Amino acid sequence: MLIKFIKLFLLISTLVSYSIASKADEKIKIAIIEPMSGPLASVGLDLIEGLEFFAERINNAGGVLGGKHIEIVPYDNAMVAEKTIQQLRKVIDEDIRYVTQGVGSNHALNIIKTLEKHNKRNPGKEIMFLNHSAVTTSFTNELCNFYHFRFDANVDMKVAALVSQMTKDPSIKKVYLLNQNYAYGQSFQAAARRLLAERAPQIEIVGDELIVPFGKILDFNPYVSKITSSGADTVLTGNWGPDAARLIKATTNSQLKVKFYTIYAGIPAAMNSMGVKVSTFNPIVQVTESHENDSTHPDWLKEIDAEYMEFANKSPYADRQRFMMEMFAAAVEQAGTADPTQVAWELEGMTGRGAHGDVFMRAEDHQMHFDMVLSHISTNVEKTFIYNNEDYGMAYETDGWVDVADITLPTTCKMKRPKR
Amino acid sequence: MDVILFTLFNGLLYGMLLFMLSSGLTLIFGMMGVLNFAHASFFMLGAYFAYQISKYIGFIPALFIAPLIIAFCGAMVEKYALRRVHKFGHVAELLFTFGLFYIIEELVQMIWGKVPVGYHVPEYLDFTLFSMSGMGYQAYAMFTLVLSVAMFVVLFSVLTKTRAGLIIQAALTHPEIVSSLGHNVPRVFMLVFGLGCALAGLAGVLAGNTLGTEPSMALSLGPIVFVVIVVGGLGSLKGALVASILIGVVQTTAISLDYSINNFIEFIGLSVDVESLWRIIIDLTISQVAPILPYLLLVLMLIFRPRGLFGNRDV
Amino acid sequence: MANLFKSFSTWIIIGVIAAILPLIFDSSFALTLLSKMGVLIIFTVAYNMLLGQGGMLSFGHAIYFGLAGYASIHIMNGIGAETLPYFPTVLFPLIGAVVGLFFGSLVGYVSTRRAGTAFAMISLGFCEMVTAMTLIFVLFFNGEDGIQTDRMVGPEPFGISFGPQIEIYYLILFWCVITVALMYIITKTPFGRMSNAVRENPERAAFIGYSVRRVRWQAFALSSMFAGAAGSLHALNYEHIGFESVSVIQSGAVLFMAFIGGAGHFLGPIVGAIGLTYLDSTLADYTEAWLLYLGLTFSGIVMFAPGGLAGLIVMHGPIARTDKKLLTSLVKPYLLAIGSVVTGLIGLIGIIEMLYFRSLISKGEGEVIIFWTEFNANGITSWLIFIGLILGGIFLSKKTFPMAKESWDHAISVVKTEISHE
Repeated sequence: MLIKFIKLFLLISTLVSYSIASKADEKIKIAIIEPMSGPLASVGLDLIEGLEFFAERINNAGGVLGGKHIEIVPYDNAMVAEKTIQQLRKVIDEDIRYVTQGVGSNHALNIIKTLEKHNKRNPGKEIMFLNHSAVTTSFTNELCNFYHFRFDANVDMKVAALVSQMTKDPSIKKVYLLNQNYAYGQSFQAAARRLLAERAPQIEIVGDELIVPFGKILDFNPYVSKITSSGADTVLTGNWGPDAARLIKATTNSQLKVKFYTIYAGIPAAMNSMGVKVSTFNPIVQVTESHENDSTHPDWLKEIDAEYMEFANKSPYADRQRFMMEMFAAAVEQAGTADPTQVAWELEGMTGRGAHGDVFMRAEDHQMHFDMVLSHISTNVEKTFIYNNEDYGMAYETDGWVDVADITLPTTCKMKRPKR
Repeated sequence: MDVILFTLFNGLLYGMLLFMLSSGLTLIFGMMGVLNFAHASFFMLGAYFAYQISKYIGFIPALFIAPLIIAFCGAMVEKYALRRVHKFGHVAELLFTFGLFYIIEELVQMIWGKVPVGYHVPEYLDFTLFSMSGMGYQAYAMFTLVLSVAMFVVLFSVLTKTRAGLIIQAALTHPEIVSSLGHNVPRVFMLVFGLGCALAGLAGVLAGNTLGTEPSMALSLGPIVFVVIVVGGLGSLKGALVASILIGVVQTTAISLDYSINNFIEFIGLSVDVESLWRIIIDLTISQVAPILPYLLLVLMLIFRPRGLFGNRDV
Repeated sequence: MANLFKSFSTWIIIGVIAAILPLIFDSSFALTLLSKMGVLIIFTVAYNMLLGQGGMLSFGHAIYFGLAGYASIHIMNGIGAETLPYFPTVLFPLIGAVVGLFFGSLVGYVSTRRAGTAFAMISLGFCEMVTAMTLIFVLFFNGEDGIQTDRMVGPEPFGISFGPQIEIYYLILFWCVITVALMYIITKTPFGRMSNAVRENPERAAFIGYSVRRVRWQAFALSSMFAGAAGSLHALNYEHIGFESVSVIQSGAVLFMAFIGGAGHFLGPIVGAIGLTYLDSTLADYTEAWLLYLGLTFSGIVMFAPGGLAGLIVMHGPIARTDKKLLTSLVKPYLLAIGSVVTGLIGLIGIIEMLYFRSLISKGEGEVIIFWTEFNANGITSWLIFIGLILGGIFLSKKTFPMAKESWDHAISVVKTEISHE
């Protein structure tokens, strides 16, 4: 008997807090769902912090719509799919109309699908998804949606930038493809094959490998051996995390001289894990929307970088967070309302300021377009990367810029739009 | 010839790394019957402590100090926690160490943060010692190899040849008699647990800089260690050595084999329709499934020969 | 007979309350949470058929849960695309049960040859294999992305489309009641009793003539069957299934729930499922250290109260039955003991929270919010306060615990004398 009452008591007392409805107030809230615990927590927390910084800047400059503040509301998904959905339902309950996310394309997919159903089943209460880092190309192709906006270049665009840069280097003749065997890695592989055939037919693909992902492989020496015997001079890989760090370390330890063209192998966390010697033994080229040490880095952006450093004790890395927030605020102002549908109309085709000319949101598929810079890790830089008071002793050195025209790719998106 | 040489040598290198990781665990299980789920966590702690110590003092001191600290931690865990749980049975001990795994992982994040730390190979060992088959081999890797072999030799002789080792072995099977002979059996267990954890810690010191030191280390390395000790035979040091090298060689070979069942089918002249669902399975190359092979081995071994290769205890 | 009716009526009351709950707490999040609890109750009780009743520790039970989920999603998508005939949503857990039973019998056949630690490790090995396979066989499992579905398919009998969350909740509640009732009945059958016997003393059970191996295998298969039913409902609830549902992490979660709730009592897993699901969904948003607290709680329970929460409560059953006043006499010493532990805990939590906060020293200020008050993590006062609380807690515990133990011993001895008089 006692147990049954305790069970009931637990049930009821635990649920009391959730019947409390939240009041609508004078804030425009953007929910951010990222991992705040678990192995990728640092990535999630850094991104949340970045958005909070830019929101604060906008608020300090007067906010939007006559003084309303933008508030970033963080939710932890611990990189578990059902938690993402659960947190989304919390977001819906708390009447928040904007969601952003980026770590883990599978979670973005969940958000897109769930919001699609929600928006369909609840007209007038639509929720917009501001995608800041989930790069799966299909989100702006067959899965495109009026309420989804992507502020990062997608996989195909990034691979196009990498391949374009590769064609400018005549010493690259043989490339080895190595990727993680899951949706993202496979799409990188597919894009790489296609774009190499289109833009660099003179480069021979001498190896094409898919590995079991997420740190399961401890020993990369066999792969290094395969790369060596293939005679490749370049490795084109979408690997991230330990899969990237261990591959590069193994390559350095075996003294194999090869160029790495990557998206995520050079991110700050990876740099630190690999150390200066490993990071600079072979050129590790990455593609981003900007970086601090680029000679064309505009002065206004340098000011913002300094402010960011003061706020977060870290060097800035993802400029897309800045233009996402700036364009969002501008769209709200132009629409004259915080209603997602009206804001969406404004965001379509909107331009914003970027590190190398304007950035713009293609209306056709809601994909952001901008020039991209290719850089490699180097100690020969003015501003080394700082993270929480630790100086990494290295940062990025520009190899070249790829014009946005070169990475503007056709889309298969057939977007259904609401009536204006 | 080149390929075979590479496969054997690399398999040996990788295998000895696995051996270092698992020697402590098989020792503890063999001696005390406790399957320490948190073994990989002590490995991780060893790497983190080594990082911290080598930042302030140096790598060589870290090599000695870190394992001692871990040994102490392990001994304390045994004395104040595990001992209490002992009376509830082996399953309870396993459960406790399962909880311990979570606790250590969180503690590590609390102290050192969630980002990988910059624990690197010391400069004076970071050069190419020699080349073989077109691949360079780092001096540090050779250093690790030598140490792991030494580890095995020392452990083996201590356990089988010295008095202390014999007492330890006796205390497992006949604790009451050993106790009545005047030996402090609980203290023996504490020492053994501490020693096992120290071995894990030493492995962490040696491998943390090559594998990358981050909070999710224990989670990614834990399972493979279980495979090694089960395949080798629980409690058998020799078995752990053989199993480690076996797995090392198998995995290295597997990755080099880009053949799939489909290749074999086409080789014998048949073909399967490209659209067919069977292609999904038969198109898989051996290199793509390489990391699962150890688990397959584990399951097969547990089904057909639970003693493992050299174990004399049934699991 | 009267007893049976009495216990039956309590179940009915609970059922009615569970049915009205969503009408009171009608936010989308609360409904999702209640639904999740329902699903996990089924899963955890099913898991306890192995752990608590059968004495088998499995690290891989999520396999059946997840695979049933995958099957359900595929079938639901097939119905939606009209490549498969219509199958009523209400009956989907049956699909899950069949899938769970199938795989459970298969894997169980091999794993139940061993017991104890070997069994645990085989289950771990299988779990790792299946997880790896979900990442590799992209066609069936769609790798990391998982598979989505729309549960609003097919005709809508009585206008119920199962689109709204509240309809899913009632579906889950319905199946929860049925499956839990079934599992309860199973514990009362000879098979259920033999399962317990095999757990206690396999050798003796074998001597009576029962095949220990067969009993274990049947328990395994049945447990997987119910886990599969839960998996189906899980997939319907989220309209999504991913590789985490077959992983060690999911298996570990259900192990925590069953054990902390109390593996030795039928209601234990239910308590564990409800409590931990709630904490998992809410505590994580309040503190970054929740995994640490979970680990500490789990290890603490293993060390001090291996019977779990239910075990602790049931321990007092005989006392309550003998003399209500005895029970009340325990209240005061318990409160004192608990109070001193809580003091220490507050101190410990404060220190942990501040340490976590400092590990992310990005922001210059040291303001951290613990227990809804602001503390300065950089100043020494906060640290001193919490350390003081810890020390105070230890000191008080040393005083109050012997008192509590004395009252307990006294109560138990009274119970024993009562029993010996009867």
